Order: sequence, then structure tokens, then C-alpha cells
Amino acid sequence: MLLFRDEEHLEYWCEARELPRGAAITPEQTWRLAHGWYKNKVKADWRRHTLEETEALLASIGLTSAFWNLRG
Amino acid sequence: MTAEANDLETLARDVRIHVFAEAAATTHVPQAPEIARALARSETDVRAALHHLAAAKVLILAPNDGTIWSANPFCAVPSAFRVDAAGKRYWGICIWDALGIAAALGVDASIRALCGDCGETLTLEVGDGRLVRGEGVVHFAIPAHHWWDNIGFT
Repeated sequence: MLLFRDEEHLEYWCEARELPRGAAITPEQTWRLAHGWYKNKVKADWRRHTLEETEALLASIGLTSAFWNLRG
Repeated sequence: MTAEANDLETLARDVRIHVFAEAAATTHVPQAPEIARALARSETDVRAALHHLAAAKVLILAPNDGTIWSANPFCAVPSAFRVDAAGKRYWGICIWDALGIAAALGVDASIRALCGDCGETLTLEVGDGRLVRGEGVVHFAIPAHHWWDNIGFT
């Protein structure tokens, strides 16, 4: 997941690599995703999120389009 | 579960706890020889545990030599995503993980990341459990269902 200065730079990057644009989210959304994903990672009793927990995390950040579908 | 499989599960848990605690405390992601010494286990056993953890998507091994590339969010090598936190310097493999370091440590952090297009330095800051400064846009190139098909590219 790369950070770009703005949408224009993201478009340049996609065009230069002939890659389709994926999904762009804000730093705030990324922070909330990172916090939910990693806040317990160093703890001894850490466990992976279940599929349902991950879906709930994504939904809580507004990431509900098909791009964020974890079930394929 | 066989005794052998049970031993691998137990060792993998010990390795996980050791690797992440070390990375958080020191910024250094320990590799198999160091882990083996710390846990008084053979390097062969530790490598088996690391592969077990990688298969479970707990950490990421380098494709060719089996060293830990990232005990994510802690990247084992310098990257374009630098995190200064608690008086130390960490690295993430992507902007998600850079922010994840602040989340995992539970401390304030300053993140300097390079624009993926032009290389300009962008700054994000975490304070009191919130993102207090952010700029730019974050791009996910790969749909969520395929993130782990090629985690290096993702």
C-alpha cells in the first residue's frame, strides 16, 4: 500500500505502470485500519482476526465496496 | 494432534512472542540464529517454526533465503516508510504497516513516507491514539481477497 502526494500522482503512477487503479483511501481511514489490525500484534495472547472480525473492521471504516470483499 | 505437531505449535508461539517483543523493544527483527540462541532451540527447529508462522500469515519471509522480511508491521530492513517512535526508528513495508507500528506500540509516532510517484517526503503523525497529521492518499492496488497472493506487491 503506497502513499501518494495526491490523486494526480496516483494517476501518474498507474499510467506509468499500465496498472489499473485500485482503491484510494484517506490517511485517517488507513490509521483506523492499522489500529484495528495491529493494536494487539505484540501481545503474547494475540490471535488472527476471524473473517467476520476483519469484515466488521473494514465496514467500520466505510470500506464496503466489492474491492474490499474478503470472500472472493 | 501428534506430539511433533504440538511441539511445532508451541515453538511457533514462543518464536512469535520473542520476535515481536524484540522488534518492538529494539527495532531489530531477530533472525533464525538469534532466535535459536534466545530460545535454546536448534536453528532447524526455529526455521520450521518461522515457515509455520509465515504459512499462517503471521510474518513474511524473504522469497529466496527464508529470513524474516517483515514481522509485520515491523520491517526487518530500511524502507520508504520510516517511523520514529519512543525515541527509536522503525520501518514498515508499506504505509499501512508504518501506521501499524504506532498502533502496535501504542505510542505517539512520526511517519515519513515517500510519495510512490515522485519520491517527495510526506509526513503523518500519530498522537494520543489518533492521527493528528495526515497528507496524501493511500492506494491499495490489489483487491482485498487477493492481498496474500503476492504480499510483496500488495
